[in-house]
Amino acid sequence: MGQCAALIRLLTRAIEMILRPIYAVIEREVVKMFRQRTRLISAMVRPLIWLFVIGAGLGAVMARTGQTDYQQFLAPGVLGMTILFGAMLAALTMVYDKESGVMRMLIIAPVAHRWIVVAKTLAAALAGLIQAALLLMVLGALGFLSWRMNYPLLLGAILVTSLSCAALGILVAAFTRTLDNFAAIMNFVIFPVFFLSGALYPIANLPLALKTAAMLNPFTYCVDLLKHAMLEPLASGPASDLRPGLDLLATSGFTLLAVIAASWRFSREEVYAPLIRVLTGKRD
Amino acid sequence: MNDAGAATHDLAVQAQGLTKRYGDVLAVDGLDLELPAGQFFGLLGPNGSGKTTTIHMLSTLVRPSSGTALVAGHDVVRDPVAVRGSIGLVFQESALDRTLSVAQNLRFAGLLYDLAPATIEERSGELLELFGLNDKRDRAVGALSGGMRRALDIVRGVIHRPRILFLDEPTIGLDLPNRRAIWRFIERLRASTGMTVLLTTHYLEEADGCDQVAFIKSGKIVQRGTPAALVDALGKHIIEIEAEALDALVASLEARLGPALCDGDVAMFRHPHEDASGLAVLQGELAGRVAALRVRRPNLNDVFLWVNAPR
Repeated sequence: MGQCAALIRLLTRAIEMILRPIYAVIEREVVKMFRQRTRLISAMVRPLIWLFVIGAGLGAVMARTGQTDYQQFLAPGVLGMTILFGAMLAALTMVYDKESGVMRMLIIAPVAHRWIVVAKTLAAALAGLIQAALLLMVLGALGFLSWRMNYPLLLGAILVTSLSCAALGILVAAFTRTLDNFAAIMNFVIFPVFFLSGALYPIANLPLALKTAAMLNPFTYCVDLLKHAMLEPLASGPASDLRPGLDLLATSGFTLLAVIAASWRFSREEVYAPLIRVLTGKRD
Repeated sequence: MNDAGAATHDLAVQAQGLTKRYGDVLAVDGLDLELPAGQFFGLLGPNGSGKTTTIHMLSTLVRPSSGTALVAGHDVVRDPVAVRGSIGLVFQESALDRTLSVAQNLRFAGLLYDLAPATIEERSGELLELFGLNDKRDRAVGALSGGMRRALDIVRGVIHRPRILFLDEPTIGLDLPNRRAIWRFIERLRASTGMTVLLTTHYLEEADGCDQVAFIKSGKIVQRGTPAALVDALGKHIIEIEAEALDALVASLEARLGPALCDGDVAMFRHPHEDASGLAVLQGELAGRVAALRVRRPNLNDVFLWVNAPR
């Protein structure tokens, strides 16, 4: 009995010791996010451009062919996009941390290196979450949002989407050494993930190759979940493609695997030994 | 932190056969090191000699290829997290976030060491006072001078009151006044905390204040002792001869004065005796053949040069 209690005390203490460092990483991310106002403002403007420019333009084409409200259809996708960009960019700051040296503080902290990856993922997910909340407020204030939504599911969908996008970003960051590759990441990760997701059009009618790609894309399931929450209560026009249970399974499975892969990669010495040499500015 | 460990281990660092191999390169080659708690220890050697790799192995950032090391009583391979919790590490380059303020950086560092916010506040206040930075709390780190940033980096490295502080070239790239300031801070810190300090430096005069120094060459410790003893063992005097046709001159003198160390157009000989009167004879003999002849006391720089002299 006594041993058991001691073990529990030890475990609790171990968890406590991890919590504060994780909180430190999250706090820093939030402080930095609100400091970089332009990043925050552009995160709000980007979805509005999609919604009002692309949405109105394509909506006009579709209205001619008798389709229903395209802007409405686009809302979950645009919300998903905001989370995708917000969480991915926040996760990619890990690469910036490697270059700027803040990673030095993290790798010498008394926590196992995998917790740095977990902390960064949570911080990035929170960045996505906050930006999603801000966008919902902006859309609401502009009178664009239908208030008939499945709120518990919406909350869950935003959470799951934030975590998945953050995990994707961390996975990319763990395999990226410098931010010189940023344009490549934009072209070969962020844009394909967004375009091949059902955010802009239902995936049901896509050609087989694109549909397969979409089904392999974790973001597809995020967007689908958002559609369930935002479009289903309206019961009008094209809504989701998949079942919410599958969405949840796919997104949480991906998040878990991505974080495990990223922390495995980050803890491998051949990965972080050169990193340490870069960080300490010396090869001896 | 681990009081039982502290009581039974008077050695802050205990390394045996510590080795790091990168491919075919032996960066550190069977290093043995014992550091009593509270000691101020200097690890000296040229670039590429293995100093930094040694520090990285002791601070768990690099896994030894073989050998063992206990740091603050914890095994660097088996319990790296405990080791990292008992040491402070200041790198050659800043680990600070330039976009955050001084106070925000220290808060971030403190939270990473699981310190309560109130504790961080209190210690930041004390340390910033000690390092003469108390009026810079809310300044962005990017706006500080190089010397202040280095000082803040040390504050960052000791906010959790480590038992051992590793300083890897703490004064590199700083001008003389700032270097002196950094040394004053380190002295104050040692006086107020008694922490063990392991230092690497290129500026050997800075290592004069160490309790003990070790010279490392090609991954091996080749000389070790107190700075005074090492200097003393080198010789009582250094004879410096400056001349144009140095090689021939040196060859003719080596039989009498022992091996020479040539550096440009200066040759140095060691003179083992306190009595330097015989040198007046030499001076007379060489008159006209040399540009200058000087006799001076050796210092750690000379030890370094002789240790690393090509043989």
